[in-house]
Amino acid sequence: MGLSGLEIFKQLPKTNCKECGYPTCLAFAMALANGKASLDACPDVTEEAKEALASAAAPPIKMVKVGAGDRVIEMGDETEIFRHDKRFNHPTAVTVEVKDTDDLDARLAVINDLTFERVGQEYSVDMIALVNASGDAGKFKAAAETVKGKTEKNVVLVSEDTAAMEGALDVLAERKPLVYAANKDNFEKMTELAKSKECPLAVKGEDLNSLAELVDKIVALGYKELVLDSGSRETSKVLADLTQIRRLAVRKKFRAFGYPSIAFTSKDDPQEDLMQAGVYLSKYASIVVLKTDKKEHLLPLFSWRANLFTDPQKPAQVQPGLHAIGDADENSPVYCTTNFSLSFYLVEGEVSSTRIPSYILSVDTNGTSVLTAYADNRYTAESIAAAIKSTGLEDKVKHKNIVIPGLVAVLKGSLEDESGWDVTVGPREASGITKFAKEKFA
Amino acid sequence: MIIIGERINGMFRDIAKAIREKDPTAVQEWAKKQEAMGSGYLDINVGPAVSDRVSAMRWLCEVTQEASKLPLCLDSTDYDAIEAGLEVCKQPAMINSVPAVQEKMDRVFQMASKYNAEVIGLAMSEEGIPKDAESRVALAMELVANCDAHGIPISNLYIDPLVLPCNVGQDHGPEVMETLRQIKLLSDPPPKTVVGLSNISLGTKNRELINRIFAVMAMSNGLDAAIADGCDEELIAAVATARIILNMDIYCDSYVDVFKNQNL
Amino acid sequence: MAVEILKEKYRSQVREVVLGATKDEGGTRSATIKVGGESTLPFLHFEGEVPNPPVVAMEVWDIFPEEWPQNLKDAFGDALNDPAAWAKKCVEEFGADLIALRFKGADPDVKDASAEDCIAVLKTVLEAVGVPLIVYGCGKLEKDNAIIGPIGEAAEGENLLLGVAEQENYKSVASAAMAYKHSVIAQSPIDINIAKQLNILISEMSTPLLDRIVIDPTIAALGYGIEYSYSIMERARFGALNGDRMLGMPMIGNVGHEVWSKKETFIPVDEEPGWGDQAERSLAWEAVTAIALLQAGMNILVMRHPQAVKLVKQNIDELMQDNSY
Repeated sequence: MGLSGLEIFKQLPKTNCKECGYPTCLAFAMALANGKASLDACPDVTEEAKEALASAAAPPIKMVKVGAGDRVIEMGDETEIFRHDKRFNHPTAVTVEVKDTDDLDARLAVINDLTFERVGQEYSVDMIALVNASGDAGKFKAAAETVKGKTEKNVVLVSEDTAAMEGALDVLAERKPLVYAANKDNFEKMTELAKSKECPLAVKGEDLNSLAELVDKIVALGYKELVLDSGSRETSKVLADLTQIRRLAVRKKFRAFGYPSIAFTSKDDPQEDLMQAGVYLSKYASIVVLKTDKKEHLLPLFSWRANLFTDPQKPAQVQPGLHAIGDADENSPVYCTTNFSLSFYLVEGEVSSTRIPSYILSVDTNGTSVLTAYADNRYTAESIAAAIKSTGLEDKVKHKNIVIPGLVAVLKGSLEDESGWDVTVGPREASGITKFAKEKFA
Repeated sequence: MIIIGERINGMFRDIAKAIREKDPTAVQEWAKKQEAMGSGYLDINVGPAVSDRVSAMRWLCEVTQEASKLPLCLDSTDYDAIEAGLEVCKQPAMINSVPAVQEKMDRVFQMASKYNAEVIGLAMSEEGIPKDAESRVALAMELVANCDAHGIPISNLYIDPLVLPCNVGQDHGPEVMETLRQIKLLSDPPPKTVVGLSNISLGTKNRELINRIFAVMAMSNGLDAAIADGCDEELIAAVATARIILNMDIYCDSYVDVFKNQNL
Repeated sequence: MAVEILKEKYRSQVREVVLGATKDEGGTRSATIKVGGESTLPFLHFEGEVPNPPVVAMEVWDIFPEEWPQNLKDAFGDALNDPAAWAKKCVEEFGADLIALRFKGADPDVKDASAEDCIAVLKTVLEAVGVPLIVYGCGKLEKDNAIIGPIGEAAEGENLLLGVAEQENYKSVASAAMAYKHSVIAQSPIDINIAKQLNILISEMSTPLLDRIVIDPTIAALGYGIEYSYSIMERARFGALNGDRMLGMPMIGNVGHEVWSKKETFIPVDEEPGWGDQAERSLAWEAVTAIALLQAGMNILVMRHPQAVKLVKQNIDELMQDNSY
C-alpha cells in the first residue's frame, strides 16, 4: 500500500498554485493517493519529498542476499504477518554455529554431512556461523581459511572486532558471507568493510530503539544490504522484537526495520536450543543460528520449516503412487484416494489404525481433494484405471478389488468397465474406514 | 458494519411520550430489543418537541444504560445537551455529529477529547452538502486535520459522506460510494465511515429494500457503520451476509444468528 | 529516534475456562486450572494480557499401551500397567498440569471394557492425583456415546473436560457435561467453519456451556499437515480477538496421539541413517510439534513423552516472561 492522502499532503508545498491541474494541494494529494496523478506535475516539490514518496512505493522489506553463485540465499522481501493471508516468501536460513576454538575439521565434516531426505524433499544446513570465540584475530583468520577449504556452505562471520573481521573477510569475501555485526562503536569501520567487499552486514542493537538509530546511521553512510538483530537473547523478548520488526516494516513501512532479521539461540543444552530455534523460525526470523548439529534435532526443525513456508493457497501434495501401510502383501486390501496431502494423511491414519496391512493408491489429482478433483475431471474412472496400471498394482496383489471413497460412489460402474477390477464403495469420510474394514477385511 | 440502533428517538411517539411522562419502559424495551438483535451502539435523540433538551438527554442516557450495556451515540445539534449526556455515560460514547465548520469542530473535538468520545463528522460545510466526491473528501480531510490537531486518534472519527434520498438526489449515489472509498486513503489508520441509512429511501415506496441494498453496496465500498433500524430482520440478515462475503466474519451455517448474538 | 511500538487493540478476548473443581466447588481436585483469557496473540505481553499460561496434560490409558515405541514405554517403566501409578508419576515426577485419561480399553476390538470398568479406573486415578482430568473415550462413536453418560455421572461435580463432541455427534457429551457439571471438548476436522458451527450447536443446548467449551481444531503432526492446523488456529484466534465470540474458546491439541503413530517417531536409525537417533528424534518430533502449535495459540497440549513435556513446559515458562516495552 502507498502513502495516505494526509502523508502525501504533508510532503507537498501547500501553495495551491493549481499548476498540477488540481484546484488545491489537498486535491492533488488525493489524486496521488489514488494513483491518478504523477508527482512530476508539481513544480515546487522538494527532493526530500520525492524520495519519501518514492520509498513508500518500495516493498516493505528489502530483499538481501548472502552467498555467491548458485549458493545465494535470498532473505527478506516478506509482505505478510500471517501465513494464511499469503505465503511467506523465503524460508528461514538454518545456520549452525561453530567457534574458531573448535576442532573445525571435525565439526565441518559433521555439518557437511547434515543432509536429510524426507517425503521426497532434501534438506541441508544453509549456513555455518563462525564465531570469533578466541577473541584473537589471527585465529579467526586461520579458522576462515579452514572453512574456506573444508566446506562450501555459506558463512556468517561473527566478530565485533573490526581487525578480526577484516582478516577473515580477506579470506572469504568472494563467498559473500554475512558480516556480523556492526554495533554502536564499530559501525563506521564495519560498514566500510562490508561495503568495500559487497557483503551483507548485520546490524546489532541493544534494543529496538538503538537498532533503528544504528540502521539510520549506516544507511546514511550509503549501505543498505542489512540484516537486523535487536540484541535480545531471552526467548520471550526475541519473540516480541521479531514481531515488532516484522509488523512495523509491513504495516507501517517503518524503513529502519525494512530488512531481514537474524536470531541466535542462547542455550547450552541442544534440546532447549532446538525449542528456541523453533519459536524464532515460527515467528519471522530470516536466519536462525543454533548450536546443535545433530540430525535428530535438525530433521524436525527442517520439517517444520518446510510446512510453514508452503503456499497456503496451494494444496499440499503427497507423492502420487502406491503406498504400503504396514507389511502389505498380495492379499492386502487396496484403498484409493487422491494425492491431496490432508486426504491422504487422513486415510493413511485410519487405514493404519485398522491394523490390517493395506495399500493406498494415491492418484495424481494435482493435490486436490476427492470432490474437487472429481468435479475437475482429475479423479475419474480413466485416471484411477491409469494409476492401477502405472503403479503395477496388478502384480502386487493377486485379487482385483479396489475401495473408492463413498463420495464418488458414482464412479463404480465406469471404473469397473475401464479397469476390469471389482470396485467396492467405501465410507464417505475417512473416519468410517475402521468400521468398514472390520466388516469387510477382518 | 456496526449498526447504530436508531429507535430511541423523540421523533417516535412512544419515545416522546416516555420523555414527557418520565416513564422509561418504552425506552428500555427498545434498548434491550436493539441490543438483542445485534446493534453495536444505541442512538439517543430527544427529538424535536422537547423544551429542555439538556435534562431530557441526561435522563434518556441514564435510563437506557440501566437496560443495556451498549455504548451510546448522542444525537443532537445542541452541544450542551450532548455534553450533559457525555457526563452520565458510563463508557466512552459517540458524538453525533459535527459539520466541517470551524467553531463547531473546536467545541466538539474539545468535548471528545475530554470525555474520550468518538465523533461523527459530517462532510458538509456552511454552504451545505457538496455534490461531488472530491468536495466531500476535501471536507472530510478538514475533519481529519482538526481531529488530529486535538490529539484524538483518527480511528475515533466516523465520517458521514451524507446521503440524499434517491428520489431527490439520485446523482449523489455514485459520489457517496466514491467518497467512502477515498476516505480510506486520507490517513493511516484511516477514519471510519458512517451513514444515516434510511435517508437514502426517504419518500420512496420500497424503503426497506432500498435501505438494505444500499447498506451492502456501501459496505463493499468500505462503510464501517450505519445509523439504522436495528430491528429490521432483513437488514440484519443482509448485513451479516455481506460481512461473510467480504470475509469480515468467519462463515458457519448459523452466521446470521451469530451476528445477532454478538453481544452475548 | 524512538521506535513507536505497534500495539494492536483487539475488541475482545479469549473466553476463560476453568477445569476441575475443588471440594468447595463440588469436586475433589486439590486445585483448579484456568485456561484462555488472553487478549492478544500468543505471548505478546507487550500489547495485552495473557493471564493463564498454556498447560500440558499427560496421557494415561486404562490398558497397557502395547503400540507405543519402546523408548516411550521405557520412560514410564512399570507404571504403565497401573493407571493410578502412571498418573501419579506424570504429576509428581514429570510435572503434568493435568491428566488426560484415555479409555482405550473400551474399544470393542480391544477389551470392550464396560462403563463400570471405566468408572473404576477413573476413580482410582481421581484418588491418585489432585490435578483436573481430561477424559477421552476409545474413539468409536457408539461405544463412547454409551459410556460417556455413566462416566459423567460417576464423577459428577468434578468438572472433567469431556471428549469429544463432534458436529454429527455432540449431544451425548454435551448432555453429560450439562447434567453433571463438566466441560466439553468440541472437535472439528481441521475446518474453522465447522468449529464455529459446533460451538453454536452446543450453546443452543445450553447457553452457559459457552464458557465450558474447549475447541479441538484437530491438529496434525509435524510433517503431516500441521500447517493446516496452524493456520486454522491463527485465523480462529485472530477472529476471536476481533470479536467472534463463537470462536473465542481456548484450544486443545492431541499432540502425543498424532505424533507417536508417525514413522519419524519409531523408525530406527539403521533404517533411516539420515534421520538420526530414534529415541532423541521421536521426542524432538513431539516437542517441536507442540512448540509450533503454541505459537498459533494452543492452550492445552496433550502429550506423552516426559522429556518432551519438560522441554515444552520450560519453553512456556520462558515465553510467559514479560516482554513489554
